[in-house]
Amino acid sequence: MAITATYNEQELVSALRERDNRAYSYLYDNYSGALYSIILQIVQNTELANDILQEVFINIWRKIETYDANRGRIFTWMLNIARNASIDALRSKSYQNSMKNQELGENVNNIGSRSTQTNTDHIGLKKTLAKLKPEHRVLIELAYFKGYTHEEIAQIEDIPLGTVKTRIRNALLQLKEYLQ
Amino acid sequence: MNVQDYIASGMIENYVLGLASAEERAEFERMSAAHSEVRAARESFELILEKQLQDQAITPPANLKSKVFAEIEVEKDSQQEKIIPIRRILRVKANWARSVAAAAIILLAGSTILNFYFFTQYKKYINKYDELVASQNQMAITNKTLETKLSDYASAIGHMKDTGMALVKMVDVPTSPSPGCSTTVYWDTRSKDVYLLVNNLPKPASDKQYQLWAMVDGKPVDAGIFDMNEGLPFMKMKNIPEAQAFAITLEKKGGSSVPTMESMYVMGKVAG
Repeated sequence: MAITATYNEQELVSALRERDNRAYSYLYDNYSGALYSIILQIVQNTELANDILQEVFINIWRKIETYDANRGRIFTWMLNIARNASIDALRSKSYQNSMKNQELGENVNNIGSRSTQTNTDHIGLKKTLAKLKPEHRVLIELAYFKGYTHEEIAQIEDIPLGTVKTRIRNALLQLKEYLQ
Repeated sequence: MNVQDYIASGMIENYVLGLASAEERAEFERMSAAHSEVRAARESFELILEKQLQDQAITPPANLKSKVFAEIEVEKDSQQEKIIPIRRILRVKANWARSVAAAAIILLAGSTILNFYFFTQYKKYINKYDELVASQNQMAITNKTLETKLSDYASAIGHMKDTGMALVKMVDVPTSPSPGCSTTVYWDTRSKDVYLLVNNLPKPASDKQYQLWAMVDGKPVDAGIFDMNEGLPFMKMKNIPEAQAFAITLEKKGGSSVPTMESMYVMGKVAG
């Protein structure tokens, strides 16, 4: 007989801090799908996303003491861990190399066979992103999904830093409207 | 900037999505600590985001959960290790000890090989040394023998040259078992010591010995038995104060109290 525990946010956090296996099981059951979705949207590769999701849950387990409820909800904290891990993976040298090799392979025989490569443009936040104006969309794409800093985006897009900051905030407000 | 403007600036979304710079984050935390409206607006956006992402959830592969929990178990074990850091220290020490042990084994092996080499050499030289000592001893014995012989000859020559020596030439008697044999007695006229020089006598059987007699007033007096195989040219016999003649008979081993006249070989008269 399965015991299904339900927790409010506070109970969940204190159970997690006690390294309670049932609380982690609950956390996984209730949040792994949402986190997996965002990871997949960033790395667009199923195998890599599987590895990252594992890493994210281990990190949640390891770093639960550093979670500060004053700074936001537990989901927001986990979401940022997942996003950061995904962007780190994208930027890791081994991933960059594997992408180069794949592109080379495709150029040679031209049979786009990225077996684990997933187009995520039609799902999740990205689907919502498509509703934004192009100049907003590209900035969110670079900032949120590629992890570039505002300074880097200013260089890439060749627009002033102040403009980048303003546009991103406006884009986010717009996004929030679409999400509601 | 007033609170409402701040809320409407997009800074909350910026912060929640992790896009804010360090400076912007610090500013946001100040604002949210100071203004409950900011906190409420943040929570509102967090809930929208959470709901959206939950709605778009993609179920990960079923086997991932067990992998995650297997790893957490490993983490638990290693965290317990952190609680008892001495175990790690011991392990580090053990590693250090392992290197030392490895080095010691190599040294030991080297030393064993060297020891074996030196032991073999040692055995070789011990053998050579033993051979040298043996040959040295042999030479010393030979030397001693030669020295003794030489001193015997020297003393014999000394006696022969001595003018105080009376010579008694002894030749074969008519009944001698070995005709042609002869001996000589050197008789010291001062000390009356008797020395015998064997000129020519056959070798006796192993159960027999020659015996020298002094004839004192017609009676034979034992002057000692002698062996010939010692090869001494000049044998000291018993002291004889007075005698008119000397004779040699062959007797049973150990000598006899009276001479066996039939086996008298030689006799000689003292020059008077």
